[in-house]
Amino acid sequence: MGSLSINQVTKSFGDTEVLKGINIDVQNGEFIILVGPSGCGKSTLMNMIAGLESVTSGTLEMDGRDVTHVSPKDRDIAMVFQSYALYPTMNVARNISFGLEMRGVDKAERERVVADVAALLQIDHLLDRKPSQLSGGQRQRVAMGRALARSPEVFLFDEPLSNLDAKLRVEMRTEIKKLHKRLGTTIVYVTHDQIEAMTLADRIAVMKDGILQQLGTPAEIYDDPANQFVAGFMGSPPMNFIRVDTCDGGDIEVEIGGQTHRLTLPCSPGIAASNQREVILGIRPEMITQPKPENTQGIAASMDFDVIEPMGADTMAIGEWNGQTLMARLSPEAGQCAGANTAIQLDISKCVAFDTANGDRIR
Amino acid sequence: MTNSSFTWQRGLIYTILLAFAALYLVPLYVMLTTSLKDIEEIRQGNLLALPDNPTLYAWTKAWSSACTGSECEGLAPFFWNSVRIVVPAVVISTIVGALNGYALAKWRFRGSEMLFGALLFGCFIPFQVILLPMARLLATLGLANTVTGLVLVHVIYGVAFTTLFFRNFYVSVPTELVKAAQLDGAGFFAIFRHIFLPISLPIFTVTLIWQFTQIWNDFLFGVVYSGPGTQPITVALNNLVNTSMGGKEYNVDMAAAIIAALPTLVIYVLAGKYFVRGLTAGAVKG
Repeated sequence: MGSLSINQVTKSFGDTEVLKGINIDVQNGEFIILVGPSGCGKSTLMNMIAGLESVTSGTLEMDGRDVTHVSPKDRDIAMVFQSYALYPTMNVARNISFGLEMRGVDKAERERVVADVAALLQIDHLLDRKPSQLSGGQRQRVAMGRALARSPEVFLFDEPLSNLDAKLRVEMRTEIKKLHKRLGTTIVYVTHDQIEAMTLADRIAVMKDGILQQLGTPAEIYDDPANQFVAGFMGSPPMNFIRVDTCDGGDIEVEIGGQTHRLTLPCSPGIAASNQREVILGIRPEMITQPKPENTQGIAASMDFDVIEPMGADTMAIGEWNGQTLMARLSPEAGQCAGANTAIQLDISKCVAFDTANGDRIR
Repeated sequence: MTNSSFTWQRGLIYTILLAFAALYLVPLYVMLTTSLKDIEEIRQGNLLALPDNPTLYAWTKAWSSACTGSECEGLAPFFWNSVRIVVPAVVISTIVGALNGYALAKWRFRGSEMLFGALLFGCFIPFQVILLPMARLLATLGLANTVTGLVLVHVIYGVAFTTLFFRNFYVSVPTELVKAAQLDGAGFFAIFRHIFLPISLPIFTVTLIWQFTQIWNDFLFGVVYSGPGTQPITVALNNLVNTSMGGKEYNVDMAAAIIAALPTLVIYVLAGKYFVRGLTAGAVKG
């Protein structure tokens, strides 16, 4: 079935190495998302899985079969492109059935598949139209229909939602997730949108500069980031990074609202072992809240907030620790009266620390 | 909202445009009227006057009995020579150019940019430079003085231009279309046929007009590489005008010149709007 194994794959364009030894094993039926900033090599990797780019070194296997040098059409893969890449002169029905036509499937069967796919994606009424007569969301559906028609082992999605407006994007995101649930086909999905990654993926592969930074479930990536890059990339608003001094025993010292707090982090033994005088403390905004009496583990403090940003469900409040900007996530009620000398509560059970030099996680 | 100064400026612009249009059309007018006059009337010297007794005498003579050198069969045989040269040369160079342009735009390979550069260079080589080597080549191939030889020369010379046209047109087609078609299982030619050909009407029109005009109007290759029975119409026209049997028959010369120019004029009138559209068609929206 649709398992995929990427072994030590590299890609160079001349002297520029854009992928530096990627290893990813995708299970059959898994929804895996490649995420990273632009230029991290995620689209190149996807094109290599599709067979549209050659592999410089390393191997690609599908279902245990080495496909490193197999041509795209023999890989049993379908792809949805960012620009949809619908054939402009063909109507929707022919766009969907073109792959079958090229593979010599007879006309009756093609018509049956087109009808099935169109019903599944609710585009029955569009079959006679040309792509130029469709809206963005409809084109997106047709592009997905074209991929579905061939019922391949693996679907590739290359930033499929980035050309849609915000509302439609959320709708289509849900639709893709439903579709995956229903079909159970392996999906490899490229995006630079970390929210898409968090919401859709079974596992996320975070990439930067051609290197796989971390591969894990959304929860692992979010709560247990491998390094400062991953921690900062995933999550919105992003994790706060504060440069802090360490003390004996691996505790850290941080000045909050004019008072110096000494905190013992889960990773304090690791900090002690690393002998660093300074580390970067990583604390997500939702770990800094208004006092919550029900949480007895919380640490009480008070601090000044300069800027308050209500977002509806939450209110983001911006202040400083150690003279460095930091964001807290308060309830709307607490946010309304936040300002100078506001009482807060810290939950440090998920705080992480990073090496100041290379951003590596200190555990 | 219109005001008087606006319409006044409009009027000025149209007057100037009309004046220039008239200036350009005067030679054609003179050719047409002269070709319809008899020689007596021409001798009276009223160049711009309309013919008193319009006659097709000059046209029939130019077409079927005027002397072009030693034979006196008019332009007709040479007209068909030109057709026999132009049609295959245009068709072949356009097809080759389309495939070249498609390959160079969407199937980049090592050195493809250099190859394109070298082809482009072909557009800038003056005709005169290749006259001798080409004559040697045609002789070696046994194609000297043949229609096939002339077709070959025009194809070789034309491919540089047609490739340039098609390549620049196809470059604007999103490469993702090619990738999508590849994943759909289409090969090099299937992608060309199903994806590229259907969007190519504008550029085909441009290329056909360009090539037709170039080859039909060619004189140099025609005069150098043709034999007695294979001369194109441009060469025959030259011979006709330069062959004087008694007095100069300006009406026959004019009729012959119009006959020689007619096919290109017809092509422009029929496909001219596609020509402009093709030249300006940059984006292919998907």
